[in-house]
Amino acid sequence: MDNPLKVILEALVFISIEPLSLDRIREVLNDRSEEEIRRALEELEAEYNREGRGLRLQQVGGGFVLATRPDHDPWVRRLLQIERKTKLSHAAVETLSVIAYHQPATQPEIQAIRGVDSSYTIKTLLEKKLVKISGRKKAPGSPLLYRTTDRFLTYFGLNDLSELPSVEEVAKMLEEGDVPEEKRAGQKAAQQEKTQEETRTDTQEMELEKIPDET
Amino acid sequence: MEPVHAAEAESYQVRLEVFEGPMDLLLFLIRKKKIDIADIPISAITREYLAYLERKEQINLDREAEFLLMAALLISIKSQLLLPREQPPADEEDPRRPLVDRLLEYERMKSASLLLREREEEQLQSWRRTSLPPLDVADEPGLIEVSLFELAESFFLLLKRRENENFQYLKGKEVSLDEKMREIVRELEERHYLDFLEFLARQESLEEALISFFCLLELIKTGAVIAVQERLFHTIKVWLRRSRPLPESHGQSA
Repeated sequence: MDNPLKVILEALVFISIEPLSLDRIREVLNDRSEEEIRRALEELEAEYNREGRGLRLQQVGGGFVLATRPDHDPWVRRLLQIERKTKLSHAAVETLSVIAYHQPATQPEIQAIRGVDSSYTIKTLLEKKLVKISGRKKAPGSPLLYRTTDRFLTYFGLNDLSELPSVEEVAKMLEEGDVPEEKRAGQKAAQQEKTQEETRTDTQEMELEKIPDET
Repeated sequence: MEPVHAAEAESYQVRLEVFEGPMDLLLFLIRKKKIDIADIPISAITREYLAYLERKEQINLDREAEFLLMAALLISIKSQLLLPREQPPADEEDPRRPLVDRLLEYERMKSASLLLREREEEQLQSWRRTSLPPLDVADEPGLIEVSLFELAESFFLLLKRRENENFQYLKGKEVSLDEKMREIVRELEERHYLDFLEFLARQESLEEALISFFCLLELIKTGAVIAVQERLFHTIKVWLRRSRPLPESHGQSA
């Protein structure tokens, strides 16, 4: 390690429990210029994100974190003797998407898009601190407004909301139609963890064959 | 998870996968038939949609009302289309338009949620130090430090419990704060911790209990001991803090 600042930053990121923000780093290293710090961070990031490291330096939720690589998940879990982390439900991720892309959003707005009652899902998302109440809308009944939290960003490995899949990415996915979903199902099967969402495509197709075409 | 699913998580495997909501089903029908979403043949789609609803096989039955609401909407759009008009309706007047907008937005959100899922998948396999389970400190599982109010509340609870006891007011022995403090510290040193309520209950008189309570408060204030609850509503335990010196004798007597 040639750059001493880089080494200091490595220590700071390592010891931080929450994502370490640039502001916080500047508070600690108040004799260094922002430019210097940024450059050192970039160097550090490049170094970590090269192949062959057990850790990676990620920017999530507005700060830097050191995390293990996904490939090493099986060994980490064996060491800690814990099960695979549970995923959010289908309804939860869908509701989160709606809130993330429409925030601040009210419950009626969320329901209008999803077409189903979302009160319970919103409640669980609030409990998980993935969304928060950000105020009330100046509308009849003053409904509560919901926003996503920093925890939401960290959970999905996003640095800020601008890193949400863009309209273009989503559109690209739509163009590819059902393909990615099926492809994903195949990958998951390989990992022996077909979840309800993925298996559904197959079942639906089967079912459709059975319906006589009345037109 | 919707409440029903949580409860049925185990029986999920034997059931056919379901459409979570009406938008889900409608979008599936449209995409499967490769229908131009801007020009939905409402009558054909309605028929298909109702067929699913009637068989009740692949729809989430707890959402039946919402599926029916959509059926009603489809039928109402269909009827509007059937009304004779003098001119063909302008684009904005197309009764299908609001539904199409909703469907497109829903589809966008659904795709976005699939992309988020991929990210979730990746993140869940990446571990940070925060994700580690707390290190087990012997016999101190998830301790909650308690506030003065909680201590006082416990104390009053104790007094209330003793209210009905047949107290005999005798001129008892005089207990000094100092003595009591030493007694507490001695016990703490032997047993490492005191059960707050149990200790107070052991006191012979109300005065003694009060003095003990003050002693404990004093010890907590100086930081010589820490009052913790293992779990909410559990008994409060008082632990000796090794790192802090014990307070000097006060020399006051009660």
